[in-house]
Amino acid sequence: MNKKGAFALLTLAAAAFLTSCGKTDDPGHTTLTLMGRSSDLEKSYMTSIFEQYEKSTGNRLDIISFKDADFEVNASGEFAKGNVPDIFLHFHNADLNRFDVSENFYYMNGEDWVSDLTDSARAYCQDKDENLLGLPFWESSVSGCYYNKTLLDQLGMKPASSQAEFDVLCQVLTDTGYTPICWPADGCTWMFQFGMDPVFADDPELLEKLNSNQITYSEIPQITDMVQWAADAAENGWFGSNYLGEGWNDIGPALGSGEAVMTFIWDTWFYTDFAGGNTYTVDDFALMPVFMNTADEGTYEGGNLNMMMVNKNSEQLEAALDFVSFCASSENYNAAFDGISTVSCFKGQNTNIQSQMVTDAQASIAAHERVSTASSKIIGYSADDVASAFNDLFCGKTDVAGCVKLMDDYRIEEARKQGIAGF
Amino acid sequence: MKKWFGKLLPSFLMCIVGITAVLIGITYFNFISQRIYDDSTDHLEEIYGQVNRSFGSFVERNWGLLESWGDYFALTDSVQNSSLNEEASRDSSPAAETAESSDSASSEGILSVDMASDIISAEEIKSSEAVGAGIENTDPIPDFIKKEQDYWGFSEFYFLSSDESCMTPAGQKGRMDLGGSWDSLISQKEPVMSSETLSSGQEIIVFAAPVPHGEYEGFHFDAIAVSYTNADMADSLNVDAFSGKAKCFVIHHDGNVLFSTQTGGNIFSNYLTYLKAASDLDDWMLSQIQNDWMSENSGLLQCRIGNISYCILYQPVGYQDYILLSAVPQDVISAGFLSVQKTTIGVLIVIFLLVGTMVIAPIILSSRKQSRQSQMALQYRDLMFDVLSNSVDDIFLMLDTENHTVDYISPNTERLLGIPLKAAREDIRVVGKCAVDGDVVIPKAELESIPLQGSRYWECEYMHQKTGERRWYRMTVYHMSIQNVRKYVIVLSDRTQEQQMNQKLQEALTAAKSANEAKSNFLSNMSHDIRTPMNAIVGFSVLLEKDADHAGKVREYTRKIKASSHHLLSLINDVLDMSKIESGKTSLNVDHFSLPELLDELNIILMPQAKAKSQSFEIHVQGAPPEQLIGDKLHLNQILINLLSNAIKYTPDGGRIRFQVCELPQPAHQYAKLRFVVQDNGIGMSEEFQKQIFAPFSREISSVTNKIQGTGLGMAITKNLVDLMGGIIQLESHPGLGSTFSVELSFVLPEPEQSELWYHQKVTRMLVADDDEDICLDIREMMRDSGVDIVCTTEGSAAVELAVQAHRRKEDFHVILLDWKMPGMDGVETARRIRDQVGAGVPILVLTSYDWSDIEEEARAAGINAFMPKPFFASVFWQTIEPLFFERADKVEACSEPIEENVMEGLLFLVAEDNELNAEILTELLDMEDAGCELAVNGLEALNMFKKSEPGHYDMILMDVQMPVMNGYEATRQIRACGHPEAAAIPIVAMTANTFAEDVRNAMDAGMDGHLAKPIDMDAVREMVGRLLQKGGKIQ
Repeated sequence: MNKKGAFALLTLAAAAFLTSCGKTDDPGHTTLTLMGRSSDLEKSYMTSIFEQYEKSTGNRLDIISFKDADFEVNASGEFAKGNVPDIFLHFHNADLNRFDVSENFYYMNGEDWVSDLTDSARAYCQDKDENLLGLPFWESSVSGCYYNKTLLDQLGMKPASSQAEFDVLCQVLTDTGYTPICWPADGCTWMFQFGMDPVFADDPELLEKLNSNQITYSEIPQITDMVQWAADAAENGWFGSNYLGEGWNDIGPALGSGEAVMTFIWDTWFYTDFAGGNTYTVDDFALMPVFMNTADEGTYEGGNLNMMMVNKNSEQLEAALDFVSFCASSENYNAAFDGISTVSCFKGQNTNIQSQMVTDAQASIAAHERVSTASSKIIGYSADDVASAFNDLFCGKTDVAGCVKLMDDYRIEEARKQGIAGF
Repeated sequence: MKKWFGKLLPSFLMCIVGITAVLIGITYFNFISQRIYDDSTDHLEEIYGQVNRSFGSFVERNWGLLESWGDYFALTDSVQNSSLNEEASRDSSPAAETAESSDSASSEGILSVDMASDIISAEEIKSSEAVGAGIENTDPIPDFIKKEQDYWGFSEFYFLSSDESCMTPAGQKGRMDLGGSWDSLISQKEPVMSSETLSSGQEIIVFAAPVPHGEYEGFHFDAIAVSYTNADMADSLNVDAFSGKAKCFVIHHDGNVLFSTQTGGNIFSNYLTYLKAASDLDDWMLSQIQNDWMSENSGLLQCRIGNISYCILYQPVGYQDYILLSAVPQDVISAGFLSVQKTTIGVLIVIFLLVGTMVIAPIILSSRKQSRQSQMALQYRDLMFDVLSNSVDDIFLMLDTENHTVDYISPNTERLLGIPLKAAREDIRVVGKCAVDGDVVIPKAELESIPLQGSRYWECEYMHQKTGERRWYRMTVYHMSIQNVRKYVIVLSDRTQEQQMNQKLQEALTAAKSANEAKSNFLSNMSHDIRTPMNAIVGFSVLLEKDADHAGKVREYTRKIKASSHHLLSLINDVLDMSKIESGKTSLNVDHFSLPELLDELNIILMPQAKAKSQSFEIHVQGAPPEQLIGDKLHLNQILINLLSNAIKYTPDGGRIRFQVCELPQPAHQYAKLRFVVQDNGIGMSEEFQKQIFAPFSREISSVTNKIQGTGLGMAITKNLVDLMGGIIQLESHPGLGSTFSVELSFVLPEPEQSELWYHQKVTRMLVADDDEDICLDIREMMRDSGVDIVCTTEGSAAVELAVQAHRRKEDFHVILLDWKMPGMDGVETARRIRDQVGAGVPILVLTSYDWSDIEEEARAAGINAFMPKPFFASVFWQTIEPLFFERADKVEACSEPIEENVMEGLLFLVAEDNELNAEILTELLDMEDAGCELAVNGLEALNMFKKSEPGHYDMILMDVQMPVMNGYEATRQIRACGHPEAAAIPIVAMTANTFAEDVRNAMDAGMDGHLAKPIDMDAVREMVGRLLQKGGKIQ
């Protein structure tokens, strides 16, 4: 499609959007505009709840979707033009700053359904002042240290409850002939953010300083501690002997065979990527916190959740809040998430499929879960860049300080590419 | 035998000592190892006995404290009172109490069947709004507990109820499992110890003791407890032995771990399970261990977990079936002892070595000294042998008899044969490949046939592989045995000098024979050649005496005597020339000379001889050879005269002699190379004679040659002179067809004269007519750079036509050059016709190789202005035409003016001659020429006579050279310097038998004007006198 064609379509879409905003088709029936990513809006639980809403209320939802790649630019462009939808779907990440949250969106702390939110879901949706920005309506998972419970039981060992215990556990497993942590360095890009979450989730001010380029990783001792731990772990053999050449596809066989005992991953992985035919199955695994020397008691990373946010300046604010309340109704969300594999966002959520591992570790998760912070809220953060810096460390191309500097260099370079002020 | 024993004794002793040392070492090592193991386990047991006792004390202390605190609580009024009231109430309704307690727990929301969720941490208690808010810590108990906690370091204090519920002093309630020990605690009133797990997953150790029933803040308790974290326990036990690498556990007899002292915490749930899964202990051993634990027995065992060997020590704690278990890596246990062991072994080894050294050292030193001396002697011997072999030209090898591998090869092999020593060491066959006659390999059978201690030899000729030098060797192979090992010792004895000497001797013998033969031949030839003319002279002298009155016969005899004398003279000259050449005394007289002049002189000398035999004698110059050369003209002349004379001599009458000069490519800048070819169609030579023509006294014997006089030395002299001048001479001859001699010589070129460039400005068009096309081309070539436009024709009539046409166009030729003898119209006729039609304006020259004196008059009448000798040279050409252009035609033939026959008439000579006979002959000869002379018997007398003479008295001085008192050279020098008015001008001519080139040069150097060879040839005298007097202007 050429530029003229694209412009015409965009003009038509905008015209349709403008004419539909606040439009009342029939007396008593309202049409709400809802904007989001096309792929997000195509999720089955999303289409289900939209259908339920329209069917139950007779209201209509005018869905405005943008392709994933263009979403941030196009949506923020509409906002800039004053075309703010009644309902806006967005993750609570750094990109949300484009949309002037305090000016555009309604804080939902006082809504009836708030008490039904799980702590982790609520924590994710709050800003630093604990203002609830929207209704979390999304599938989710819990990232942590998934370990072979059966194997540990067979060894007369138990999971760790502290960083020190975890280190002892790793060393004893190594001495006993096992690879404690499956850490396939080639492509294993997500693990580092688990260690960084506590640093920034527990100290939002630190995150602000980092994002305004007032400090760097190298000035944050916990980051150096984490890198040092990883370097020591690699040297002690806790990642095994071939971890540098291993990748994503090696995790399943290593865990399934019992060669490796633990890995840092998320629960749904066991249902999507952990192939059968192994010595150990998903039932043999359990969950404990990730220990990467940044939180003594360990940490879990909560899922990234799409929030339904309401335009507080909308003429149909009440109808929009009613739509959100409709979605937050246990009957409705249970119908929407029926059979969906996800961690519950609502306390009353019971039709979704939640892994036994997460259920068993619920108390620990509640105590040590952090909102996904590093990957989503650090400006310029790239999992690939961080993994690249760590690989240089593991390969001996740089030392701990060099690795931290590389992480900083990559982050700042990316922030500059994005034109972030202060960089 | 004794010597052999003496040599082996040190080695034998060393072996004995070594074996003894090893055996003692092994025994000692085993002993020490066992002792160390025993000591290590004892040490381990001792340490963990102490730990066990320490742990017992810790347990006892806690229980004691709890009991004492129970007493304290009992004494506390508030507690006591409450206790009494509640005790009555509980006694009346135990079920209700249980229900109340359950409700209470339920209402706090912490009721759980899971032990982990029953326990409430201090932090949880502090944060509990429900309970904490309703309790006011006004009692002394919390303060008391706080103080005790601060002092003893426990984590938490609990009031325990018989219903398995608990409450902290802060009012936080919960349930406690106590690992099933409630009955012991409550019913049996025994203190207990148990582990509990907090909801966070953290494990704590609980010490509980029964106390008198009491109540605290409404909570009825029958026991109290304190808890410790795993870290607290580890700190309390303070097990820091073995550098902290030991793991210490308190476990239940079923293997469940109560706590661990391991830094970082306890990660084991059941150590027996761990041993089963991770260690190399078999089931029987594991069963034994379990039995020991159940029976509260102590034990010590070793096992391997992963790659680490551990010592596992267990001993009962003495409380509630608990076992204290320690796992220590063996290398950690033994580290200290191993250090002692290593030190001890080291000390023992040192002592042993010292003792051994003291005992064996002298033997070894002595042995080594002997060995070193032997080795040194061997090395010296090897060195000397190497030096020796390097200084001689003999090659030495030692080969193994079986596979012929090289044990030794002398280092001079490379120098003598040019093969690398390494290659020869690797494969001895490379030596055989140096043989001149191909690959020399002595058959194995022949080698093996050499008896032990015997030898055989072969003569071989080898060639140096790099220089190609040949050497002769006698290869002697010795079959030797060295300590029963058989070897071939091969000596290649250099026979080169001997061989070369033999060859030289052979050659010398051959040369001597040849020389002797030559001498005999020479003497024979000389005898023959000298006797022949002498015979004629003597014979005709006798006849002359007899027929003195018969004038006709006298003239005939005199002519024959004269001819024989000339032949004898030439024979003597040749012999002397040859002698001088062979003695190496001949030297070159290098100077500038003119090639045209040389050729002109040859023409003058040889043309009459050829003419006398009616032979055609032609001189051709091919190309444009340089006219001015630097070289030895005298010897070149001699070479060419010899060749040309022979050509004339051995060519029948009417034959053809062709002499050609051609220029070869320049060998280098400033050098010219010329080829002189003498070709005849004479009798030729056989192939056999051609091979020896240049040998002295070689003459082909045939019916023809026998009639020709010759010394047989001419060609030998020629060849030697050519060699002396660095040239080559070649011969091609066929009997009956003629011979062609070719001489190639190089000459230095003088600096070119720029002045030659002027002449072509006067002549720009020229007509050449010669029937020999080559001559036309040669002339064109030689005039190439002159700028003269040359028109050539081979016919006289064509020349006339060309001249007429040019005249009609008013473009007359500036010069017309005509060959004299052309077929059809000769040169004279052609000139005449040209003059008739063109007139007298154009100079006409005749080019001829013949004596033109016979036709000169006719030619001049025909209009020919001048004659030019062949071959054509540009310089001669210009010299010839220059007078014509400057109207000096009257002087054209000045140089060719014939010498007058009576040139000596009336002259007075001063003759210096010491030989009376020679003086008399000369006087008579001069008298025959109507000339007079005054004699001086030596140089001094001649000098004095000249000095005393009036000016003009003498016309010339004829000076002998070898004279007594004063020789001719000195006399000449003094005459030139005597101050006589004619001292410088008077011609002085050497008259001597010294006829070599240097003699002529010496004469000139002394100031003489000419040189005449004895015996006196009056023709030569006349020619000399005529030339000198003409030069001096005396003859007009």
